[in-house]
Amino acid sequence: MASLTDPFEGIFDNRRRLAASVVVLLALAVVPFTTTPYITDIVFTGLVFVMLGVSWNLIAGYAGQISLGHHAFFGLGAFVSAWLTTPARANLPEAIQSPALLAIAVGALVAGLLALVLGPILFRLTGHYFAIGTLAVAAIIQLVLLDQRRFSGGSTGYYVQNNLGDSATFLLMLAATVLVVLVTYAIVNSRSGLGMRAIHDDEDAASSLGVNPLRYKMIAFVVSAAMAGLAGGFYAQFTLYVNPDSTLGVPWMVDTLVVVVLGGMGTMVGPLVGAGLFLSLDTVLRETAGEFATTIEGALIIIFIIFVPGGLYKLLSDRYGSDDAVEGDATAEQAE
Amino acid sequence: MVATDLLVESVLNGLLLGGIYAVAALGLSLVFGIMDIVNLAHGHMLMVGAYVAIVLFTALGLTPIVGMVVAFAVLFVLGMALQRVVLERVVGEGMEQPIIVLFGLALILESLGRIVVGSDAQATEIGIPGDAISIAGATLSFPRVVTFVLSIALILGTWAFLKYTTTGLAIRATAQNSSAAQYMGVDTDNIYVLTLGIGTGLAGAAGALLSMLFPITPYVGWSYLLKAFAVVVLGGVGSVAGTLVGGLILGVSENVGVLYLGGGFRDIISFGIFVLVLLVRPHGLFGSSGGGE
Repeated sequence: MASLTDPFEGIFDNRRRLAASVVVLLALAVVPFTTTPYITDIVFTGLVFVMLGVSWNLIAGYAGQISLGHHAFFGLGAFVSAWLTTPARANLPEAIQSPALLAIAVGALVAGLLALVLGPILFRLTGHYFAIGTLAVAAIIQLVLLDQRRFSGGSTGYYVQNNLGDSATFLLMLAATVLVVLVTYAIVNSRSGLGMRAIHDDEDAASSLGVNPLRYKMIAFVVSAAMAGLAGGFYAQFTLYVNPDSTLGVPWMVDTLVVVVLGGMGTMVGPLVGAGLFLSLDTVLRETAGEFATTIEGALIIIFIIFVPGGLYKLLSDRYGSDDAVEGDATAEQAE
Repeated sequence: MVATDLLVESVLNGLLLGGIYAVAALGLSLVFGIMDIVNLAHGHMLMVGAYVAIVLFTALGLTPIVGMVVAFAVLFVLGMALQRVVLERVVGEGMEQPIIVLFGLALILESLGRIVVGSDAQATEIGIPGDAISIAGATLSFPRVVTFVLSIALILGTWAFLKYTTTGLAIRATAQNSSAAQYMGVDTDNIYVLTLGIGTGLAGAAGALLSMLFPITPYVGWSYLLKAFAVVVLGGVGSVAGTLVGGLILGVSENVGVLYLGGGFRDIISFGIFVLVLLVRPHGLFGSSGGGE
């Protein structure tokens, strides 16, 4: 199964899993037409969590670089798409007004480009320094946009318009989420994925064997930033509102972290399971625990890291056998 | 162009502010240097310390100087408990685990702060009454002078503790080589617990001092974490004197920058300095290559 030739080898092997995925996707696709707007909102948020989790997992779980600035790319994607569909509010020329889908794509592109520019700078740092460096850069981006009220609406925020409609945005988001998962799967199971895991396990050793750490870190960073930007763009066009305080805020980083830690870092299925679990938890907690919801989420992060370090996915696959064990790990072992 | 006396004044006030930054950073630097952990919740612990002082002042009328001592004690205990109950279980398993756990703790402290005190800024009328002091034509506010003196006392105290006590020697030995220290009979587990206690205690004390100068909200944690870390990279990990210098540099740069660019730039300036220093010297201005891996 060392699938360097066919990146998608293995993903469709298991018929049961394939059937389950199709059923889940179909069920998700009819959500905006069969349920209430409230539930549609919740499921949409879940898709955002999946995108954020899967993309952060690529840079942190696979390449081992703990970026704490993922929310900056999310927020930037959101703002760029907002500027492009609704330029008048930011006093930008009408000429750049674009259809929502193009705006979202450009948002993702800009987020990826920012990562391309920042990457060589930030990757001079390792370990803790990289984590704090990314946090600082994200804080600077947020502060600058908060200060530039003209472009960001300041603390009152920025209302977005488009001609897509809720249901269409939702379906496009669903398609984009599937795309993000498939692309990540392909990367993880490619030569680049092997390079990333090698860096994660031991950067010096990988480097001495001819793996160029910067190259694979950059691939992971740029791709994951673009995916976060994509999630942000869809978020802005679905909620029709962005705000430098909340859209660029650390809470998105928190959500991302919870999703990945709950599900299992460095596994393909982990963030998917984590997003589902976190979404249910979050929804229930907001109803029952009210303002303590965030406190409980923080405690969950700590408890999971200590007692369930592999995340829910590992817990389940350990307990219920694993005919389709962690694909990533299986590939890595075979390749070694 | 800004008048010269205004510039002198903001440099002097920046030095005074820098003293507090140095205290906040010293706690972070000690923990980083000795335990190789960046306490991501350091800024949030500072926020808790600030609220301890504020509550003592508003509820009991206690002077913030007492508040500072209590804040140190409260955070000292919290830090020791954190190491005993949580961090001991995750260190040595890799770098991600402590980072994520401390991120979670920061989240808990922030949301608890929001629940307990609300999300509004706490207007701090707390302070020490006294007349402004004039030096070289520049006016220095009395509370700033007092907080500076207290900051220097805290830094000197920490330095003397590390340098002249047996426990301080054990801490330094553990920082240099923990297994060797263990062979010499040092109980390194307890040393780590104590170190985290001192580190977070200093965060609490710095918070109490800051509460006399700036409004505090439950959301200031990240900002002060980044400032403290900026001082650490300026001064070098684990160096007491370097930390003091770094704190003063940061305080002056912030104040002078604000003078020219406006108040909204205070945080942008310090985070910008931080990123710049890391670019030039990825391990800090005076730092060695140790730590952070």
